[in-house]
Amino acid sequence: MAEKRSTHKPAPAFWGRARNWVESPDWLRVFLIATVACVAAYAVNIAVSEAAPGNWWGLTYGTLASLLMAGAGLYALRRRMTKTALTLRLGKAQPWLQFHLYGGTLALLLTFMHVGFKIPSGFLTWWLWALSIYITVSGLLGVWLQKWIPKILASGLAMEVVLERVPELIAELRKKSEELMKSCSEPVRDFYRKNVAAALVQEQPRWIYYIDITGGIQSRLKQFEYLHKFLPAAEKSHLERLQLYYRTKLEIDAQYTLQKTLRWWMYTHVPLSLVLLILLGFHLFAVWYY
Amino acid sequence: MNEPDLMEVKQTEAKRIAQYNDRWNAFGVNTGIVKISDRLSLAELKNYELFQEYDDDKLLEKLLPDISIATWKKGAILFEEGTYLDLAFFILDGSVEIFLKRLQEAPNLGRPIFDVSRTMPAFDSKTAPAGDKTVTMETMLQSQLRRQDQGDAKTRYLSALDVDLPGGSVMRLGPGEILGEIGAMNGWPQSVTARTANECKLLQIRTPALRQMRDESDNLKKRLDQLYRERSLATHLKTTPLLQNCDDAFIQALTQKVELVSLRPKNVVSKEGDPVDALYLVRSGFVKLSQQFGEESIVATYLSKGMTLGEIELLLDDVEKWKFTATSVEYCDLVKISRADFRELVRKYPAVERQLWETAVARIKETGGSKKNIGRAEFIDAALEKGLMQGNSILVIDLETCTRCDDCVRACADTHGGRPRFVREGDKYENFLITKSCYHCYDPLCLIGCPTGAIRRANIGAVVEIEDQLCIGCKTCAGNCPYDAIVMTDTGTVWAMDALEENYRGKARLLASKCDRCTKTNHGPACVNNCPHGCAIRVSSLGEFQGLLERRK
Repeated sequence: MAEKRSTHKPAPAFWGRARNWVESPDWLRVFLIATVACVAAYAVNIAVSEAAPGNWWGLTYGTLASLLMAGAGLYALRRRMTKTALTLRLGKAQPWLQFHLYGGTLALLLTFMHVGFKIPSGFLTWWLWALSIYITVSGLLGVWLQKWIPKILASGLAMEVVLERVPELIAELRKKSEELMKSCSEPVRDFYRKNVAAALVQEQPRWIYYIDITGGIQSRLKQFEYLHKFLPAAEKSHLERLQLYYRTKLEIDAQYTLQKTLRWWMYTHVPLSLVLLILLGFHLFAVWYY
Repeated sequence: MNEPDLMEVKQTEAKRIAQYNDRWNAFGVNTGIVKISDRLSLAELKNYELFQEYDDDKLLEKLLPDISIATWKKGAILFEEGTYLDLAFFILDGSVEIFLKRLQEAPNLGRPIFDVSRTMPAFDSKTAPAGDKTVTMETMLQSQLRRQDQGDAKTRYLSALDVDLPGGSVMRLGPGEILGEIGAMNGWPQSVTARTANECKLLQIRTPALRQMRDESDNLKKRLDQLYRERSLATHLKTTPLLQNCDDAFIQALTQKVELVSLRPKNVVSKEGDPVDALYLVRSGFVKLSQQFGEESIVATYLSKGMTLGEIELLLDDVEKWKFTATSVEYCDLVKISRADFRELVRKYPAVERQLWETAVARIKETGGSKKNIGRAEFIDAALEKGLMQGNSILVIDLETCTRCDDCVRACADTHGGRPRFVREGDKYENFLITKSCYHCYDPLCLIGCPTGAIRRANIGAVVEIEDQLCIGCKTCAGNCPYDAIVMTDTGTVWAMDALEENYRGKARLLASKCDRCTKTNHGPACVNNCPHGCAIRVSSLGEFQGLLERRK
């Protein structure tokens, strides 16, 4: 009997699938190897010696963690010195970000190994430990946001907006709507005053856009349907035009809400990262001086 | 004439009228003109032999804004090699010398105008690496250059040459002769330099007028076609990959037999189901191939310079009817090789037949692909509509991974003295943003009409760049660019009170600004290099873009 051929495609290998959710599987591979190496080293460490920050093992972990943290911090510097980085041919920004992500995460593991997976008792070391956790967690949150938000922005909205241009675009829509209202009948004008005008004053961030970006817009557009039924043909086209402006405004709001989230996330991550690096400097100074 | 055509003429005409005074005045670099006519009257125009056959005064009225008479002093350069012209010169008095000036410096000028490597519709996304350029593309470019190097050492075949000219020689044209018309009408760069041998009186006719004159007059069309046959066709055919191995005698014979077909936008070349009459070779422009599919027709593929139409029908014995409807996307010129000449060609040169079979098989595969995958047909249709087939380097952004950090724009600004050369805005196609950044078009319209030559490209396919020192901020290039990729920036200074052009004195000095792909730096495009997520990508062909879309699915 002839062997029945399967019509199913073979499942892609792990690294093939990884391409769907990580930007660079190669970096992930290196990170996993490094993590396994660290865990193995720690296992040997606790088998042959005590896990303490001050011994040879602990100092090695601490030094590596410091180097990785400093290296991860260089990404921020590169972002602010674009021209220099490009002129000196310091490489594309993408590998720098990958190092920032994986290096920063590995630094937390090494920090835990440095303190023997215990909560430090000293004031400075406690803050260093807490900030390391906070920065890594906020960084991972940022990674998730940067994967999730672009996907919903791209799939749910018809237009793309530059955040800085939002006020200008809203003003333009308001102007166009007001022009349109000059040629509309009173019921449409009244509808505009009560339901649309306020929305065209400024950007209106809304939580619904995080949950259901298209639904959030559709539900607000429903209010046009009832009035639409009662209008004569000429007025209908005016209302449809107004609906188009309103829809555009809602899309701008959705873009604003989600893009602003990406910007705000930076404030939760970057300033405290700087504090961490400063405290790290004090810590290193204290360790080597005393 | 249908409505879109009317609109097109009106817009063009309005633009030309506005530019009229500026365009033919001397701007420092163009000091060769001694005298330039004001707008000619109808009666004056009719004095010239070239216009005497046109009875329609309305037509002549339309032509007037695009015609002037200039007296050039002895030794003035009319145009240089590599210049893109939007006008042709008709010699009324005096003589003009044409010669090769930069041949040794710019060997790439020899790249054939019929260069199929420009478009890669049959791109295989699975095998192609995700680089700026594909291996296939690189190989094809290399082979094109090698072919050039193997050419006759004495006579250089120049792709866009209006005249086939042996290296080092000078040719003299006199009254009644026309020059620059082939480049002007086909959007090709001039490959010779033209200099006045003595004081010359020249009738200068811009491309829109030239096109209308050709459309309305069989005599002029014949005359221009004859000039093209005499001066350039043999070279163009010889440098076509399809005919490169044919001997000179055969090519010469072919130049007298082929028909030259000129099309306006949306003209139908062949209709699906109609009898097949010839093989067509695309000289310039783009041709869309569509096929009936259910109730509607779908776009199967498109043809660009150097590609052929009709090989499937002519090679397969039992196919007597066109399999595609072929429609010109824009102004387009074709070479029509009759069925009889085609038969002779394939009988005499088996290699040509083999090559045509390969093309035919590829096209059958491709069109079959379009029917199986409607998305692909939709992509080609949309790309032709948006003009993406022109793009030599289109900056697209993958919106599914872009975090809107604007690092690409910031890097561009940092590289260009604080002023970014593009904005992160534009049309969306699927989840890709096609930014308003220069496409570095294969046939750049922006180069046409620059009064100082500030906007230029060193070579076919090279980067289109603006020389700030030469730009006078006349906005011609910005107005010509169909993709809004050129913006005018205020330099914050005003024109000096002794500026050559009186109209500009004391006014704000503007500068045209556009992407230069960072060619003046030691790094690649800053936008691409500085994107932390790798979502800013430059694509150099539709095939590459399509491959990108498929990879991201």
